[in-house]
Amino acid sequence: MNIRVKFEKGEARCPDAPSTQEIIARDKVSAPDWVCSESYEFLGDEDISIDRYIDPAFAKKELQTLWKKTWQFACREEHIPEVGDYYVYDLEHYSFIITRVAENDIRAYYNACLHRGTKLRASGTEGCASEFRCPFHGWSWNIDGTSKNVVCDWDFPHVDKKSMCLPQAKVETLGGFVFVNMDENAPTLAEYIGADAMAHINKWKLEDRYIVAHVTKVIPANWKLTMEAFMEAYHVLETHPQVAPSNGDANSQYDTYGEHVNRFISTLGVVSPHLKGRISEQDVLDQFTVGDSSVLQGADRKLQEGETARQRMADMMRGMFEQATNTDLSAVSDSELLDCFSYTVFPNTFLFPGISLPMVYRFRPVKGDHRKCIYEVFFLRPVPKDGERPEPACEVRLEEHQSFTEAEGMDPGFGAILDQDTENLLLEQEGLEASAKPGLTLGNYQEIRIRHFEKTVEKYVYGK
Amino acid sequence: MTNTTEPSDRLDVAEEQSVTLEFTRFCELSAVPEGSKRARKINGTMVLVVHTKGKLYAVQNLCSHQDKFLHTGRVRNCRITCPLHGAQFDLATGKATCLPATKPIPTYEVRVVDDWVEVAV
Ligand code: FES
Ligand code: FES
Ligand SMILES: [Fe+2]
Repeated sequence: MNIRVKFEKGEARCPDAPSTQEIIARDKVSAPDWVCSESYEFLGDEDISIDRYIDPAFAKKELQTLWKKTWQFACREEHIPEVGDYYVYDLEHYSFIITRVAENDIRAYYNACLHRGTKLRASGTEGCASEFRCPFHGWSWNIDGTSKNVVCDWDFPHVDKKSMCLPQAKVETLGGFVFVNMDENAPTLAEYIGADAMAHINKWKLEDRYIVAHVTKVIPANWKLTMEAFMEAYHVLETHPQVAPSNGDANSQYDTYGEHVNRFISTLGVVSPHLKGRISEQDVLDQFTVGDSSVLQGADRKLQEGETARQRMADMMRGMFEQATNTDLSAVSDSELLDCFSYTVFPNTFLFPGISLPMVYRFRPVKGDHRKCIYEVFFLRPVPKDGERPEPACEVRLEEHQSFTEAEGMDPGFGAILDQDTENLLLEQEGLEASAKPGLTLGNYQEIRIRHFEKTVEKYVYGK
Repeated sequence: MTNTTEPSDRLDVAEEQSVTLEFTRFCELSAVPEGSKRARKINGTMVLVVHTKGKLYAVQNLCSHQDKFLHTGRVRNCRITCPLHGAQFDLATGKATCLPATKPIPTYEVRVVDDWVEVAV
């Protein structure tokens, strides 16, 4: 059929393909509410100005406005299980010591001595302390932030020890994540995320997962540009040709929730609408490579007459993930096992609550360089059902020239996907700097997450 | 505390090791169960034995940053964190893995003989 139906703006969807919801509705083990709902809203179709990616002055403004007012994922609770455990979280030149003061009391101290400013703990470190003692002259603070010792206090009669507490940023926890916010007047994390998205996050029980791998790499592009490379499945056909045959890319679903959360659902184990009629169900199964494929080694991959690749994948994954990770997945839907659920929590976090793609991403600008960002990939697996929580994996720091496939704990197929995602970014950064066109043009549906994200950027930076 | 990094001391240790390693009994194996550590002075050297992830490690019990004891530091992923200012050392190699330390700490051969932990210092 070649009739082009006229749609209202934002209403058009990939033609002649089942919707994400239709695909999921056919699954054997049905999906929960948070999967089976839609929340798309048309947010305009103007170009997105490019100064936000290429202008150092914009980056400076972001630091004073956006980064100082938003809730940021600083560490996982599992990084600081015991009282006195700490983790240093940096954002540009800001630095915080995130520490557990009591079983249910986590604080974020500005990481600077109140004498002459020395960082109390080096950036990029974690450990356990019985006090925070400055390495310069030895002033020290208790874990609860109160002053413990001022060396030669006879020389500091003007210092009131009682008021010399370490200044704090706000802290909240959610799903095993510790969030910090520098704004004393910030809304609660629950208000910030909003009731709809909170209902999703609360269902995932991410607090019952642990970090099985943690890989960090500096990417030569603006932090927003880099994040936005992960906000749509529109690029899959061109960027990840090996994935396209088994990914519902052009018919992925996009949703926004309030100002700070958006998501896509990208189904797997189905033929891409781009390749419809050109590949078979057996091809889909044969080419399914996404995610934590290590658990599928040696599986029988021959489809019976009438069997779908998607259902076979779901059945196989359930059994093999249960075995490989010693967890009970009987209540988990086919969709949660297979599909890619990608959520952004503004400004620095991606959560992927699925089972086969269990990642968390964190993005931050590199200090003093708006053209670079720090990209971190965490893989989260359910804690084994015998209850023994493994230690979180050590961070592996890759050099800029290294491939993600070289990182310990990285599935090689997934590492190759991340390489493809990030290899284009320098070209995009440089292209924007070279461009004669002052704005980015976005698709109304498939790129709605980018528009939504940038609207929130503008809200913070321009006070709009 | 005596200065343990006296050049002459160091030389002696180096010479001994280049011939054959002299092992000294450190403690009974049952005194350092998995997930624990134990500090002792042997042959004039502060030694820390750590039992983690199914392996025994022996390192100098003094941080290379400002010479403080390491034995109350947290061990995770085969690294020990100095409780004072947070430097970290790889237990296998002694390498300083983060600031404020930049120099390594000595590591020692360790073995188990007749349920005794022995360290070559
Ligand atoms: S700068 Fe911290 S004690 Fe002097
Ligand atoms: S003495 Fe160990 S970090 Fe300073
Ligand atoms: Fe991608």
